[in-house]
Amino acid sequence: MKKVLIVSIVVLLAACQKETKKTENQVPVTESENPFEQEWDTPFGVPPFNKIKDEHFMPAFKKGMEENLAEIDAIVKNTEAPTFANTLEALERTGKSLTKVQRVFFNLTGSNTNPKLQELQRELSPLISAHYDKITLNEDLFKRVESVYQDRENLKLTDEQLKLLEDTRKSFVRSGALLNKEQKAKITEINSKLSELTTAFGQNLLAETNGFELVLGKDDLDGLSEGIIAAAAETAAQKMEKAETEEGRAKYKDKYVFTPHRSSMYPFLTQSNRRDLREQLYKSYVQRGDNDNETDNKEIAAKIAKLRAERARLMGYETHAHFVLEERMLKTPEEVYDLLMQLWKPALERAKVEVADMQEVVNKEGHDFKVAAWDWWQYSEKVRKAKYDLDEAALKPYLSLDNVLKGVFATTNKLWGLSYTELFDINVYHPDARVWEVKDKDGTHLGIFIGDYFTRSNKRGGAWMSSFKGQSNLDGKERPVVVNVCNFPAPVGDAPALLSFENVTTLFHEFGHAMHGILTNVTYGSMSGTSGPRDFTEFPAQILEHWASEPEILKSFATHYETGEAIPDALIDKLLKASKFNQGFANTEYLAASLLDMDWHTIKADEDLKDADAFEEAALTKIGLIKEIAPRYRSTYFSHIFAGGYASGYYSYVHSAVLDSDGFEAFKEAGNVFDSELAAKLRTHVYEKGSTEEAMELYKQFRGRQPKIDALLKVRGLDGSTD
Amino acid sequence: MKYLKIFILFIFLHSSFVAFSHEQDDLLILEIEQGELSFQDEQMTAEYKAALKRQRKRQLAAMPWYKRFFLFVKAGVVHIIPKGLDHILFVLGLFFSSLFLRPLLWQVTAFTLAHTITLALAALGFVQVPSDIVEPLIALSIVWVAVENCVFKKTTKWRPFIVFGFGLLHGLGFAVVLSEYGLPKNNFVPSLLAFNIGVELGQLLVLITAAILVWFMKNKSWYRKRIQIPASLMIAAMGLFWFIERML
Repeated sequence: MKKVLIVSIVVLLAACQKETKKTENQVPVTESENPFEQEWDTPFGVPPFNKIKDEHFMPAFKKGMEENLAEIDAIVKNTEAPTFANTLEALERTGKSLTKVQRVFFNLTGSNTNPKLQELQRELSPLISAHYDKITLNEDLFKRVESVYQDRENLKLTDEQLKLLEDTRKSFVRSGALLNKEQKAKITEINSKLSELTTAFGQNLLAETNGFELVLGKDDLDGLSEGIIAAAAETAAQKMEKAETEEGRAKYKDKYVFTPHRSSMYPFLTQSNRRDLREQLYKSYVQRGDNDNETDNKEIAAKIAKLRAERARLMGYETHAHFVLEERMLKTPEEVYDLLMQLWKPALERAKVEVADMQEVVNKEGHDFKVAAWDWWQYSEKVRKAKYDLDEAALKPYLSLDNVLKGVFATTNKLWGLSYTELFDINVYHPDARVWEVKDKDGTHLGIFIGDYFTRSNKRGGAWMSSFKGQSNLDGKERPVVVNVCNFPAPVGDAPALLSFENVTTLFHEFGHAMHGILTNVTYGSMSGTSGPRDFTEFPAQILEHWASEPEILKSFATHYETGEAIPDALIDKLLKASKFNQGFANTEYLAASLLDMDWHTIKADEDLKDADAFEEAALTKIGLIKEIAPRYRSTYFSHIFAGGYASGYYSYVHSAVLDSDGFEAFKEAGNVFDSELAAKLRTHVYEKGSTEEAMELYKQFRGRQPKIDALLKVRGLDGSTD
Repeated sequence: MKYLKIFILFIFLHSSFVAFSHEQDDLLILEIEQGELSFQDEQMTAEYKAALKRQRKRQLAAMPWYKRFFLFVKAGVVHIIPKGLDHILFVLGLFFSSLFLRPLLWQVTAFTLAHTITLALAALGFVQVPSDIVEPLIALSIVWVAVENCVFKKTTKWRPFIVFGFGLLHGLGFAVVLSEYGLPKNNFVPSLLAFNIGVELGQLLVLITAAILVWFMKNKSWYRKRIQIPASLMIAAMGLFWFIERML
């Protein structure tokens, strides 16, 4: 009996102990388990990806925002008089934990997402916008900034500090900080209306894009390749799975579906021999938002443009374009129009030649029709084959991913002495993401480069650069962690990954952005790397593309993956010639959209304007766009400008292109694409500077003069030299 | 295409508080441009596996040779103990055939020689047999040797030849594992050799353990009745179970 008692007491005690231990541990353990609430002891500050779970994001975001607001509050409540240090530098130090989680989250939702992260993204987006609004609209905070700004001449600030002060102040002013109460209320009202309208625009467009489908039977597939047919069958199967009624399912059974999504439409337009179906699909694409139904965008677009004009007027600007361009390299709408129109004529001329070339093929085939917009993809492909005869398959063995990487590494080594060591003991978010340490000429650590190159089903399409950690010299040297994400086809089996030449330029392009993020060397993180104006930040990326197509460099890295033999000269010639193919079309559709964008945002607040169609037609007639080409985006589906942040900014790409062509021309003029003096200038004035100086000043320091357009015309074959 | 890809870059340029945030709109634009992502488990698992293999190959290629050699030896051992229960049972099946060293040695040599040949051929890509054929046959080979142990008191003369044939099968089985592991192209022969050495070591370990365990009773009169036959029957039963399982 005694024994039993003792045993039971022991058991009870043990149970108690266990119990208390459990409760003691539970709370703190789960909290500190969130890696965003811990110091990262990982090498080079790479996020501890193996510890980050989906459920960590929301609490980390909430805590980060709270912390950020508390930090702002502390700055505002500081009883000392505002100084550069206790206001501007203090601001630089805020939001660290929020930035940390934000960077990881938005990188992963692009490159390695899942339904849960997508859901979180929808939930978080409005919270994040509201959070940053709280800061930019904080009047007391602005007062402190303004007080420092007014005193700026007595503060002995460095140029970089002055730029930080001006930029910070400007961002408050541009949110309406200098307006009176009444005006501010008006702005808030306009902003909320705009927010409703832009959301509606996007939703309508999404509905319109998803709303159309071309359902085909076996007999309608003439000309389509096996891969395309399989993809269309897959789309049909997925639609069948989603259908709720028996009828709905029957509609897709053994059918093939094409949609106005570009990935589905372009291959169809290129390959299908059924002209009637091409026309149907193409028209569904260009009519999106213009079908006079409940998801029509014509009126919404006009309303958005007018509200923006009104807001600009309230803020004291002539038009919305003036408001936007104030912060860009090209400062006025006149400068933008001037650039676009200089390119417009040669592009349109070239496009007309391309139409004639295609018509010739049509006639030769014995058809009796005039080339229309929906024939462009099919017949330009035929012209390409006949005229340029570049066999992608023959080229690919020379372009293995590993060799191309060696090429881009060697290029930056010859330019700036950089060296790369691949690291294998760093935990990243996916086994295809590779890690390199980048070192400077003298062996000092510059940053970490992550390259995530292959396409996969949980990665967004396209290619981009981003960073997991920024650069700053404010509190000791913080070096960046930068990532390139691409969508190159993954290798099959044990074969190496082979790229197309387009992939190669993409790789160099994104690597140029990465260089901008890695070479950057500024005091204040918010001005580092790619933080400059939109019409400038593509320049460091695009200029690097030029090295990829230099025959001398191509020969050094484009070696056959099996034989090791360098790419033959004849193949390089064909390749370079083919790069000028279809440039008339590409430039015309892009420029037309850019001009349309500018037209929409140079209207006055009191302009009489009802819907988008008449406005667009007038704009396009004015520039003489041919009917065989539609603008890259028509107004009713120009989501970049009516749903995104690209209003009067779509021209940026071509502006950066002017810079990169003109910039590379400097190396050509020097007679050496690795000219050390120029390379050093490019590094110190462009790649290192972030946005610490006016972009145009940076460019001039590198180039020694203003940019000129001539080199671009030559590169794109728009100077009349292409046959 | 190019404009789109450049455009996407901007979505990810979000940092300090001065930046405007447009994430909500941008998500929508992406859906409009590209359509929804479809998450299909099967495809995603296959993609992930392929990526893991690529990663391992890169790691291997970057290692110094001795590390790589050791790694493949280890992989070979691990593929016998503990991962290769079927190979362990086959080797035990051989062990329970005879208590004399010579016939055992012949069998083990034949087995080793055979699986080395097919492993090399398969790894070089000359032979390719789907695993849903190889795996059930491997299970049957276990049944065969175990049943033979019960039927014949002394090992038959042709036994080494049969074992050789089975060894060819087992080699194909090893090759499947090795191909999942990934052999570095520039270091093919040494790595294959190392893997093989590992397999032999694993095999030897099984045999030595078994020998130690039965050492004191190998000369007892009841050895065949109480140890050899029951053990072989159990091995056969297990083999049969696997065969059925793998056929399903």
